[in-house]
Amino acid sequence: MDLSALSEAVIQGNIEKAKELTQQAVDAGEDPQILLDQGLIMAMDTVGENFAKGLLFVPQMLRSAKTMQECLAILQPHFQAGSVTSKGKIVLGTVKGDLHDIGKNLVAMMLEGAGFTVVDLGVDVAPEAFVKAVSEEHPNIVGMSALLSTTMPSMADTVRALSEAGLREAVQIMIGGAPVTAQYAEEIGADRYAPDAGSAVIKAKKLVASA
Amino acid sequence: MQRLPIPTFQPRLKVLGREQALAIHTAALEILEKTGVKMEHAEAREMLVDAGARPFGDDWIRIPAWLAEEALATAPRQIALYDQNGNKTMPLVDDRFYYGTGSDTTFTLDLESGERRPCVLNDTGRFARLVDALENLSFVMSMSNPRDVAKIEFIYVYAFAEMLRNTGKPVVFIADRLEDMTVIHELAAMVAGGEEPLRRRPFLLNYSEAISPLRFPAQVVDKLMFCAKKEIPICLPSGSNAGGGAPVTLAGALAMGIAENLVGLIVHQLTQRGAPFLFGPNVSVLDMKSSVVSYGCPEWSLTQAALADMRDEIYGLPIWAFAGASDAKTVDAQAGAEAMFSIVTAMLARCNLIHDVGYLEYGSTSSLEMVAIADELIAMARHFTRGIPVNEETLALDALERVKNAGPKGIFLTDDHTFHHFETALFLPQLMDRSRYDAWAAEGARDLYRRSNNRVRDILASHRQTQPKDAALLESIEQRLAEL
Ligand code: B12
Repeated sequence: MDLSALSEAVIQGNIEKAKELTQQAVDAGEDPQILLDQGLIMAMDTVGENFAKGLLFVPQMLRSAKTMQECLAILQPHFQAGSVTSKGKIVLGTVKGDLHDIGKNLVAMMLEGAGFTVVDLGVDVAPEAFVKAVSEEHPNIVGMSALLSTTMPSMADTVRALSEAGLREAVQIMIGGAPVTAQYAEEIGADRYAPDAGSAVIKAKKLVASA
Repeated sequence: MQRLPIPTFQPRLKVLGREQALAIHTAALEILEKTGVKMEHAEAREMLVDAGARPFGDDWIRIPAWLAEEALATAPRQIALYDQNGNKTMPLVDDRFYYGTGSDTTFTLDLESGERRPCVLNDTGRFARLVDALENLSFVMSMSNPRDVAKIEFIYVYAFAEMLRNTGKPVVFIADRLEDMTVIHELAAMVAGGEEPLRRRPFLLNYSEAISPLRFPAQVVDKLMFCAKKEIPICLPSGSNAGGGAPVTLAGALAMGIAENLVGLIVHQLTQRGAPFLFGPNVSVLDMKSSVVSYGCPEWSLTQAALADMRDEIYGLPIWAFAGASDAKTVDAQAGAEAMFSIVTAMLARCNLIHDVGYLEYGSTSSLEMVAIADELIAMARHFTRGIPVNEETLALDALERVKNAGPKGIFLTDDHTFHHFETALFLPQLMDRSRYDAWAAEGARDLYRRSNNRVRDILASHRQTQPKDAALLESIEQRLAEL
């Protein structure tokens, strides 16, 4: 089946059109996994590339992500239980004492748009809460956001807490936020730093692939 | 009979009509009454309910408009800030404007190497010392988020003490929570000679923030209520940035930011009527490509000019503003252009307390050179804003007569009138270069950044505070820090 019309609708952020095409394809008995991989996610890859090149603005990219999510909702009931393949799972939160969440939310939306499953723990997340979420959710990646110099140490505390809980080896750790640097990531033993949501997606993909 | 002097028109910027101002205000009140806010501070919530607000859901609360009108009526229309020696240097009222630096930058451009590196406590001291010497900057903020403090949870206390060591000008400070704010208040009382003198002649103002959209965390409201009780002047802008924490259209972002500010004001005035509250949200924009919150955009200048209009039309309270900042990564043409744009419009709009002077990289990096350049930009803007005094002296018909009579050699440059007036009539730049090409080349062909770098080095090497604190006071400040 030619999925270019569906991809194009996702790239354009034309929600109605994309939903209609998805429904038609499902009704015609198309494989939902193929629709997801070759229709929706490939479209989002193009969107991600265009955004990285500066050809798209953030709201346009988010509109495409929303379009994809709505199509996904149509596909969801047609997957056999557990058979839907996600790009990977990420537990995400703003660290203890920090209430900034706009950047973290943007990272979450972009990751979802790229096909990741995101478990968002919100803001002011203590190391123990990260540990608990990791042991319950078994994510591939733990993502931490900090916008304050005063809360950055909580990232180190969380890395330590994960080690102490014996969970450090089970996950990749990615950190970000305005005062955070690649050097800091190295210092505290995190695996990756990303300066913005776009590169967070690229790095998350690499982390999952390398694990 | 002598004619009455001709008043000097001082250029003034208006960006809102009365209908626009009223409509934004009405929308803000509607947000309080219909949408409500999330008040996570139990005591404040109870206080609001007792006063007539309605709770709903999980910590949410709807607030009747009359509570806002009442709070606006009880808040003082003038906030007088004093210097650390008790002189009233910053009466924040009507159309008075004062510029100063900003708070927490993560990095600074190193004065020696020019490199961007993490801030340390000594940077806070240097910025304070520089501002102490600069004529057009009236107050200090920490300008850095120092990495090298003994206890990171008291970072704002160390920064505050470092400012006390290096300047006698008023201090706008940050605190993380009630605990560090209490220590800062103690230190300030030591400088003022007691809590009571500090209450009467405050030299400090706290900058705390609510969270857009519509969220009031307990620890923020703790600080707000503490300041009300102690009568420490405070502002409580929220990050109602267009497209991020707030609607992308500026009217909606302003309405929401003002609504949030009114909630802060209501809690503040219910805690203590007549305590000083500086009004105003921060309404910048979220950049639609990089997703940074911009410090160089024209929109922030526009929304704060609108707020100044709303102050004049409706609120009557002095306002919080920004200027002299940039998104540029270095002190380049972009930095100069963006800084000047906000400096001149903030002045023309008569914003009152104007902070963030010297910010680069959307608030992530600071630069001493940038502060010194901005000092001169403010002087330029001030010269423009003073307008053109028109009287017999300035019309100078006598001088013209003399020059005419001097024949072919006649030139105004040699006339006494020029000698007597040039210093006030003209703007005399210090950093802006107007030298002839050859002289400029002979001086090393230095650009503005390098000239400013030299000026900063000179100032830091030679500046002495006019009324330095005595050794015993400094010692007791040290002692208090040691107890942390
Ligand atoms: C908006 C804002 C606020 C809002 C936050 C609203 C909200 N719901 O989030 C409010 C008003 C509440 C606020 C409060 C405070 N703030 Co504030 N705030 C900002 C501001 C202006 C923008 C932040 C933002 O939202 N940017 C937009 C988003 C999209 O970008 P971002 O957060 O950088 O996120 C991107 C990347 O960093 C990255 N990323 C982020 N998280 C993650 C996570 C992972 C895993 C990855 C891979 C990537 C990643 O991707 C994101 C998307 O591209 C910045 C200055 C600035 N220009 O950055 C100051 C700033 C961060 N705040 C600062 C301060 C000091 C405070 C206060 C202490 C101020 C006060 N006086 O009380 C309080 C602290 C409250 C608290 N305890 O958390 C300082 C921090 C300095 C420092 N080094 O510590 C800054 C830098 C401003 C300054 N120069 O003074 N703030």
